[in-house]
Amino acid sequence: MHAVIINGSPRVQKYSNTEKIIASFTKGLTEKGVSFETYAISDRQSWEMIREAYRKNEEILIALPLYVECVPGLLLEFLETLPEKDDHTRLSFLLQSGFAEGCQLRCGEAFLEKLPKYLGVRYGGCLVKGDNFGIRMVDKEKQEQITKPYQAMGELFAEGDGFLREEAKRFTGPEYFSLPIRLIMQIVFRTLGKKMFQKAAASWGCHTPLDEKVWETNSECGKGEGGSV
Amino acid sequence: MVLMIDTTTSHIGEQVVEELLQRGANPTEFELIDTTGMRISHCVGCNYCWLKTPGICAVKDDYEPILKKMNRADQVWLISDTHFGFVSYQTKNIVDRVMPLVTMYLKVKDGQMRHVMRYDRQLDIGVIYTGDGDQAYLEWWCKRTALNLGSRSLGVFEEARRKEAVLCML
Repeated sequence: MHAVIINGSPRVQKYSNTEKIIASFTKGLTEKGVSFETYAISDRQSWEMIREAYRKNEEILIALPLYVECVPGLLLEFLETLPEKDDHTRLSFLLQSGFAEGCQLRCGEAFLEKLPKYLGVRYGGCLVKGDNFGIRMVDKEKQEQITKPYQAMGELFAEGDGFLREEAKRFTGPEYFSLPIRLIMQIVFRTLGKKMFQKAAASWGCHTPLDEKVWETNSECGKGEGGSV
Repeated sequence: MVLMIDTTTSHIGEQVVEELLQRGANPTEFELIDTTGMRISHCVGCNYCWLKTPGICAVKDDYEPILKKMNRADQVWLISDTHFGFVSYQTKNIVDRVMPLVTMYLKVKDGQMRHVMRYDRQLDIGVIYTGDGDQAYLEWWCKRTALNLGSRSLGVFEEARRKEAVLCML
């Protein structure tokens, strides 16, 4: 098997969570002797090259972050430029998100499930998992720890059934969190969570409150400009 | 205030406006933005609007004035062509870039994680589409998107049913 892996994230590769997930996933492929080539659509300059790889190969995997319940706008634009192919080509997806529960990704997954038909190709399943927002925020060692489970999914993919097997479906984890866990999360979000995000923002040089109503409170952007936009 | 954002190549927003006027809508209560010729980038996922310059998008193009209007509107109607049964990338870009209205902070609502909205206003959304849209899917997507914005879906209408959409605007 030889796989073409396309990172469908619009974020630059260096900071892309999806990129880190692909790195772990492809370790699993290598482990099982599967060769691959990887691309990223965030660089428009490479689109023609990616289309060429898509045309020439039959095992395609698009890895992507969930953007507002579906695929990111940039990936939609790229998809509209793909040539039509037949069902010798199999298209699989790796869908990841910030929100942690499986239920958050189902609307995106449903789009991806139907997409191969529009492109004339065969559906190879969709690996679904959330809780990945923090990858870019932590050091390399922690990144490898968070993305480690994807290596086993690479090994599974190498066996040739895409993500259609039960193990791939189980990878998602809980569809909803149980009530006790939700209650704990609610408290953490209001206390420690806020502090953590504010600290992350400070490390980016931001010292304003993260929930500031900029267009209401800031005199420069606020009411003075109200009628002029 | 009803805001319509038209990304269609056939500019069907104009027909929606005609319908509104025919039904006696007050022109000060709705606005149509036709994005033809505007520079509107995709969301680049930089997270600056959450963590570096809260509430402000780092991409400087023609989008911010639209977002400000969305923030003041009661209803936002996405008027879109369809591809793969879904809205066009032009419309999806407009939706993806709504994130400055959302904060980094999280909460649990109705059993699911949600982001805390930045402003108190509620921005309901609806879709009017051309072409071979997947009606059931678009309805699901619109509902889910509204859920993320702490608002309601106004419904999804194909071009031929735009009169029904107009009834929801009055």
